[in-house]
Amino acid sequence: MSIARLPTLSNAPSHSRLLAKGRAAPRLKSVSLAASNSRRPGMVIVGLLTMGALSIAMLNLVLHILTSTSVYELAAIQQDKRELAMTTQILAEEVDSLASQQNLSNSAQQLGMIANANPVFLSIAEQKVYGKPKAALNTDGRVARNLIPNSVMAQTSTNLKTTVASLPLGQSESGNVANQKTNRGQVISNGDAIPASPTH
Amino acid sequence: MTYLTPGDSAKRLKRIVAVILVLAVVFAIRLIDLQIIQANAINEKSYEKRAVTRVIPALRGQIIDANGKVLAKTVFRYDVNAAPSKVAPMSRTVSGAKVLVSVEELASEIAGILDLGTAEVIQKITGTGEYSRIKKRVNASAYKKLRDLNIPWLSYDAVAERIYPNGAVAGNLLGFITQSGLMEGLEQLYDKCLAGAPGEETYEKGVDGIKIPSSVITTKISVPGKNIRLTIDSDLQYFTQQILASTVSYLRADWASAVIIETKTGRILAAAEAPSVDPNDPGKLSADDRRARVFQSAFEPGSTLKTVTAATVVDTGLGSPNSQAVANYSFLIPNSDGYKVTDSHFHPTEYLTLTGVLAESSNTGILDIGKVVDYKTRYKYLEKFGLGSKTAIAFPGEGSGQLNALKDWDGVKKYVSMFGQGISVTPIQSAMMYQTFGNGGVRLEPVLVDGCEENIENFKIPQTKNGVQVISKESNDQVLAMMERVVESGAIGKYGAIPGYRIGAKTGTAEIRDPNTGKYAGPYAISYFGVAPIEDPQYVVAVTAYKSRTVGSSLGVAGPFKKIMQQVLRTYRVSPSNTKTSDLPLSWK
Repeated sequence: MSIARLPTLSNAPSHSRLLAKGRAAPRLKSVSLAASNSRRPGMVIVGLLTMGALSIAMLNLVLHILTSTSVYELAAIQQDKRELAMTTQILAEEVDSLASQQNLSNSAQQLGMIANANPVFLSIAEQKVYGKPKAALNTDGRVARNLIPNSVMAQTSTNLKTTVASLPLGQSESGNVANQKTNRGQVISNGDAIPASPTH
Repeated sequence: MTYLTPGDSAKRLKRIVAVILVLAVVFAIRLIDLQIIQANAINEKSYEKRAVTRVIPALRGQIIDANGKVLAKTVFRYDVNAAPSKVAPMSRTVSGAKVLVSVEELASEIAGILDLGTAEVIQKITGTGEYSRIKKRVNASAYKKLRDLNIPWLSYDAVAERIYPNGAVAGNLLGFITQSGLMEGLEQLYDKCLAGAPGEETYEKGVDGIKIPSSVITTKISVPGKNIRLTIDSDLQYFTQQILASTVSYLRADWASAVIIETKTGRILAAAEAPSVDPNDPGKLSADDRRARVFQSAFEPGSTLKTVTAATVVDTGLGSPNSQAVANYSFLIPNSDGYKVTDSHFHPTEYLTLTGVLAESSNTGILDIGKVVDYKTRYKYLEKFGLGSKTAIAFPGEGSGQLNALKDWDGVKKYVSMFGQGISVTPIQSAMMYQTFGNGGVRLEPVLVDGCEENIENFKIPQTKNGVQVISKESNDQVLAMMERVVESGAIGKYGAIPGYRIGAKTGTAEIRDPNTGKYAGPYAISYFGVAPIEDPQYVVAVTAYKSRTVGSSLGVAGPFKKIMQQVLRTYRVSPSNTKTSDLPLSWK
């Protein structure tokens, strides 16, 4: 194949002249010489594609930034959650220690509390008293020293004031609670109901 | 213008296309090989290199008492480690100024938080190694303080640990879990409920070994364990354990147990013993003292079984509370090569009613009256009272006591079994024996656990199952009346009396059979089992001390019984009795 054999465009009859002579449609059509014109749509597509790709890349970047921020936020929140869970555990263990029977028993003993082995019951419906009231004796009714081990009791009650009742027996005349005279004021109920026991 | 090129361009083009096609085919084949044929294997290989699978442990459920108080739970503890090779002073900002803190100072701070000696800490962090454990299982509070020091060469491993906030309270029942996973008690019995199911997650790690956040795939969700609720009132359990601890110390006994039962439901309100294990530190006690003796240890009940013999006599219609016994000091067992049974102390012949026999706890008296019921019938009654069988709780290692097969009962056992020799019972069996008397003659199965629930709000008290009518209601009323007389007039029984309340009980001082010689001797297993209030029995308290060395009779446990029963009546707000007491005669001559 040789390019030299092809007729050049300059030798071909002009399109307008052929039409004017009323001849049949020519076999060859004129082609615009401006090659740059034929490339324009391609450039637009390339431009569009580039812009599209850039936009996608930008969008991707933005999404990545947002996701990364969320991941950091999530991590921070999870860290907070862990810290709070730990604080809860620490506080729960403190409460467990303070609420353990061992600590309560020791505290009660330190405060000189005495369990009354002779409970008296008031029947409001029958307006009767059941049982014979007796003073709590500072002997075997006294809350015993704790004998039950608890190796996880890390916290114990503090600021317990030693009372007269907690003094050893016979230490002083006033040591016997039964002989105590109190100057307490009148007990006034702050509600209509009699405070109920938490157990029954 | 023409371009001249050598050769045939068409051919060349064809060749180039052919080469490209061949290459394309080769690539396509390789692509298919990699992407389709070997794809899975390659994927797996690559995933293995970057993926890490981690087991997510399931948090073990809680054990709570009847009032919701937590008796066992799982918390995190932390192992504190150091990298000795990286130990160095660190700078810290104090009041805006940078200060260099020496290793010694840091060691002192660590020691203060961990309750260790500074020298010990220095010794542990000195060296060239990458890993040294400073302290195991540090609590969260200490861990937080330590972590806030920001010491770069310290690292921490979180470890889930079981703790029992109330220490040894109900420790005998709860059991424990050792670090090697060995379990005891309810932890073992309800492991399936409490354990939950561990999960699994897989994540991909980067080159630096750090987890890639978005890569986590949870392949198996971790299911936390469920919770169990006990029928035990932990405050009552504590009180009872306190009493038993001082009782064991006072009596210098091997051990003591006390079981409190709600008679109409069979619910165990307390099952205490001393010594009792602190499940947080089980190694402190010997293997024997770590057990739940309430379910596992058997002893001969002695005279507490006389109530069962008396109930059998009354229920079979062959006697009544007023049946007459001639109680000599000794009783010769027929056809036994002269085997003699005597009472605990010498006395002239007594003319006791069956009620008097119980009040005086006369061995010869119960033999005189009890012999009217043939031994086969008595054996059946013993079985109906639950002897020789484990309870429905099926506590790990639970014993069934000893009730030999009837064919093995020799001439002596046919008699001595009437006052509790040659038979053995566990503390829970003996308490349930008396629960029968507190429930109109119907023996129930004991209940220790209300169930297994995910949400502790959902626990409900299960319906009481039908029991075994061991003796009729009428017979039972007569037995209760006799038991009340034991507390009113019994030589030892009266020490368990509680002013204002009608109590029924029976004492027991059982000799212990020496397994080597086969002979019975002291120190004794002493018991005091009682029911209250007699007019409408609600609670049974059964106290036993094994091998009491300072007090040689049931007197040693009458006081503890009284204190425990008083606490029970106070805890459950039982008002004092306002009905008349039994007036059954104790003697007939």
